Amino acid sequence: MEQLLAGFVDEAAEIRERVTRSVLELEKAEALAGKSFEELSRGLHTLKGSAATLGLAELADLAHRMEQVVLPLSGAAGPLPARIADALLLVLDVWVARLRAIAGKSEVMPELKDSLALLDELQQAAKPATEVASAGEPGTPAAPGRDPGPAAGGRDDATWRVGTRQVLALMRDVERLRELRLRLDERRREMEKGVALLSRLGIIAETAETRALLMGVSSAVAADGEEASDVIASMEEGLKTIATLPVRTVLEPLRRSVRDLCRQAGKEAELSLVGAELSLDRRVLESLQGMLAHLVRNAIDHGIEPPAEREVHGKSREGALRISVEQQGNTVFVEVSDDGSGLDAERIREVALRKGIAPAEELSAMATGQIHQLIFRPGFTTRDEVSEISGRGVGLDAVRNQVQALQGSVEVQSFTGRGTRFILTMPAEMGSSPVVLVRCGEYRLGLPMVAVESSRAARASDLQVGRARIQLKHREQLIPLRDLGALLGFRQPEAPAEGQPLLILMSQDRKLALGVDEVVGDRDLVIRPLPVELRHLSAYQGAATLARGELVLIVRPDWLLNLERRGDAVLTGTRRALVVDDSLTARALHRTALESGGYVVHTASDGRQALEQLRHAAYDVMVCDIGMPEMDGFQLTSAVRARSDLDSMPIILVSARESEADGQRGVALGADGFLSKRDCVSGRLVSEVSAVIARRKAQA
Amino acid sequence: MKTASRAPEAVSPEVSALLERRAGRSRALPKLEEESIVWLAEFPVGEEQYAMPLEIVRAAVPLKLVTPVPLSPPHVIGILRFQGQIITAMSLASLLGGRGWREDPAVLLVVDPGVGRLIAFDCEQIPKPIGVAAGLVGEARERSRGPVAEIVLPGLRQLNLLDLRRLMDRRAAEKRP
Repeated sequence: MEQLLAGFVDEAAEIRERVTRSVLELEKAEALAGKSFEELSRGLHTLKGSAATLGLAELADLAHRMEQVVLPLSGAAGPLPARIADALLLVLDVWVARLRAIAGKSEVMPELKDSLALLDELQQAAKPATEVASAGEPGTPAAPGRDPGPAAGGRDDATWRVGTRQVLALMRDVERLRELRLRLDERRREMEKGVALLSRLGIIAETAETRALLMGVSSAVAADGEEASDVIASMEEGLKTIATLPVRTVLEPLRRSVRDLCRQAGKEAELSLVGAELSLDRRVLESLQGMLAHLVRNAIDHGIEPPAEREVHGKSREGALRISVEQQGNTVFVEVSDDGSGLDAERIREVALRKGIAPAEELSAMATGQIHQLIFRPGFTTRDEVSEISGRGVGLDAVRNQVQALQGSVEVQSFTGRGTRFILTMPAEMGSSPVVLVRCGEYRLGLPMVAVESSRAARASDLQVGRARIQLKHREQLIPLRDLGALLGFRQPEAPAEGQPLLILMSQDRKLALGVDEVVGDRDLVIRPLPVELRHLSAYQGAATLARGELVLIVRPDWLLNLERRGDAVLTGTRRALVVDDSLTARALHRTALESGGYVVHTASDGRQALEQLRHAAYDVMVCDIGMPEMDGFQLTSAVRARSDLDSMPIILVSARESEADGQRGVALGADGFLSKRDCVSGRLVSEVSAVIARRKAQA
Repeated sequence: MKTASRAPEAVSPEVSALLERRAGRSRALPKLEEESIVWLAEFPVGEEQYAMPLEIVRAAVPLKLVTPVPLSPPHVIGILRFQGQIITAMSLASLLGGRGWREDPAVLLVVDPGVGRLIAFDCEQIPKPIGVAAGLVGEARERSRGPVAEIVLPGLRQLNLLDLRRLMDRRAAEKRP
C-alpha cells in the first residue's frame, strides 16, 4: 500500500500541474470547451477514480465535488470566472497536500472543512445549472477503460535511491564504452586492410582460407559494433532520464504563481517561457526552482507597475514577464526579465546609506551598474513595509548565495522605466539539447535546433548575388546568405548551387540563411565544452558525441549571426595555398609553416576533395602529399594538369620517402617541386613555395 | 603430517664456486640507486630525439580518432575523447617551431603535463622507455630556460628533454596580444 500511495503522490502532482495549466488557459479562453476543458475534466476525474481505488474516500469525494462545479460549465461562453478558478486551485492544493500527508510525505494534514464549504457555495451559486451526471460516485472503483491509476504500476513504481556520484561514475563508464566502440571500428578497418593486402599479393588460392577467416571476423566485429552502439545509446538514454528533467517541470508551475501573485498585488502580467523543452541536471533544476520563485515574486512586487500606472506610461495594462533558459556547452544561462519600472538607483543609494551598507563617499562614486548590484546585499530591501509578497529583505542575497554555491554567478541589468533583467549563469554537467546535424565538406557539424527556424533548398530565382554579398528572398524578406564552410575558414565563399540545402537561422531578431552540403538530421545531444586550449574559439558552443562515438562540433548561432555584422573573414589580396595530405599532423605542420609565411591555407584530406576545392576556388599554390589512399599525389597532379584553368598553378609534391625517382616522376607529370617531409621545416617550405611561384610568374 | 624442509639444499662445490663468482661480479658493478635514475619516454621528432618524463605519459592511442577543429590554431590537430574526457591533440613538431618529420605520425601520446588536464601530442613512433641518470637530467634542466633541456648522453648522443608546461605557457604567451 505504501508503494502504491507513493506512486499516486507523484501521479497526483503531475495531474495537478496539468489541471493548473488548464485552469489558467480557461481563464483567458473565449468559451469553456476544447482541449483545456477536457484536460481539466479528465484530471479531476482521474484524481477521483484513483483516490477511490486506494480507498481514500474523503479525497475521492472532494475531487467529485470539484467535478460537480466544473462539468456543468461545459460549453459555456466566456472565460472561466476568476472566483471558480481561485477556488479550484485552492482546493486542488489542499487535495494534494492531504494526499502527501496520508502518504507520510508531509506532517501537515490540512482540514477539508473550508474546501468543502467553498465548493458547496460555488455549486449553490451555479444552480439551477443542469446537473451533470458524474462518471462515477465517490468511493466507487474506477470505471474500466479509464486511467489505470497507481495500482497498475505495481512493483515497477518502486524507486531506488542512487547517489549522484554513482550516476556520474556510470556516465563516465558509458563514455569509455563509446571509445571502445570506436576502437572496434578501427580493428574492423584494419582487418579489411589485411584482406585487401592479401588479395593484392596475388596468391589467391594459398590465402583463401585466411582471407575468408578475416572477412568472417570482420563482419562479426561490425555486427558486434552495431549491437554495442544500440546498447550504449540505450544506457545513455536511461542515465539521462535518471539524471535530468525537462526544464518545463520547474517553469510551468510558475504560471500559477504569477497568476496568484498578480491577484494579490492587484497587477496583471503574462509569463512567457523560452527553452522549457531543454533537459537539465536535476540538481540544477532543484536549486533553480527556489531562485526563480524569488525572482518572479520580486518582478511582480517591485518591477511590474499596476495596470493604471502602466497605461499612464504608454505601456499595455498587462506586464510582460519572460524566463528563458539556454544551455551552451555545460553552462546554463537563465534570464528572468520584466518590462516594469526598472531599478530605482537613487532609492537604492538612499537605502544603502541608511542601512550602513556603504559610506556616502563610496556610494556617490559608484556607477549606476554598481549601485544595482547592492540589491544582492544581505537584508537589502527598498520596501519600508513588509508585504505579503516581498519586502522582508530576504531573497536576492539568497538567490546570489544559491547561485554561488553552484559555482555560478548572477548579474542584474536595469533601465529606468523599461524593466529589469536578471541573468543567472550556472554550470551543468548533464543535460541535452536538440541539435540539427549538417555536413559541410568533410566536416559534420551541429547547430542548436533552437536557432534553426526552417530549412529549404536554394533556388537561383531567389538569390540576389552582389559584389560583396549574397542575399536570399525568403518569405517576402531579403536575408543575408553565407556558406558555413567559408565562415569556418575551410573553403572559399561562393553562391549556393541549385537545390543546395539552406538553413534559416534566427537569433536575437536577426536572420541568416546558411549554406551547407547536407542536412543529416536532428539529434538530442549532450553538449560538452571544448578543452581549455580551444575555449577561446567563439565559433563553437562545444562538442557532442554521436551514437558511434565520434565527436561533432556544435557551432554557436550567435557567432554566425554576428559575423554578418563584421563581414567576411576572407582576406583579399593574400596568397592562398591548398594543402592536400591524408595525415592530420602533416596538414597541421604545412599550415603552421605557410601561415607564418603569410598564406591563407585551406586543406583537403584526399585527392577527390582537393579537386572539389579547386573547382570552387583559385589557389596560388598546391602542396600535395604523394602517398595518399585512393588517389595519390601523382594522380592528383595529372588530374590538375589536365584542367586548362589549373595548368599554371604551382604544385609542390611532398613525401615521407626521400626518393629521387619520385621527384622526377612528379616533375614529369607537371609538378614544380619536390620536398621530403624531413625537409619541410617551416622556412624551407615557404622558400620553396615562393621560388616555384616566382618561376611560374617568370614563365608567364 | 608431512612438512617440507626449509633448510638450503646442499650444492656441489662447482655450483658454489660459480655462484660466488657471479656474486663477485655483481658487487664489482657501479651501484645505480633507484633514486639516481629518471625514466623518460624517448621518441623522434624528425631528425632529433626528444623525451618527456615517463610518469606523465598516460596512454598511446591511434591518431585516427581525432576530430579536426576548423579555425583552431595551426598547432592544434583536433580533439579526441579519452576516458570520457574531450582533450586537445597538438602537433609537437609545430609547437617546437616547425620541425621536419620523417614519417607521418600515427600515434598520439596522452600526457598529464601538470596543468590540471590531459593533452595529446602526436608522435612518429611509440616512445621507448629510457633510464637517464638523475644528475644529467637535473643539470640539463638547470641550464635550460626554455621548454627544451638538452641532455648529452654517453656516446655524445643528444636527447632533448621537453618541459611541456613551459611549452604550453610559451604558446599561451604567443597567443596573447
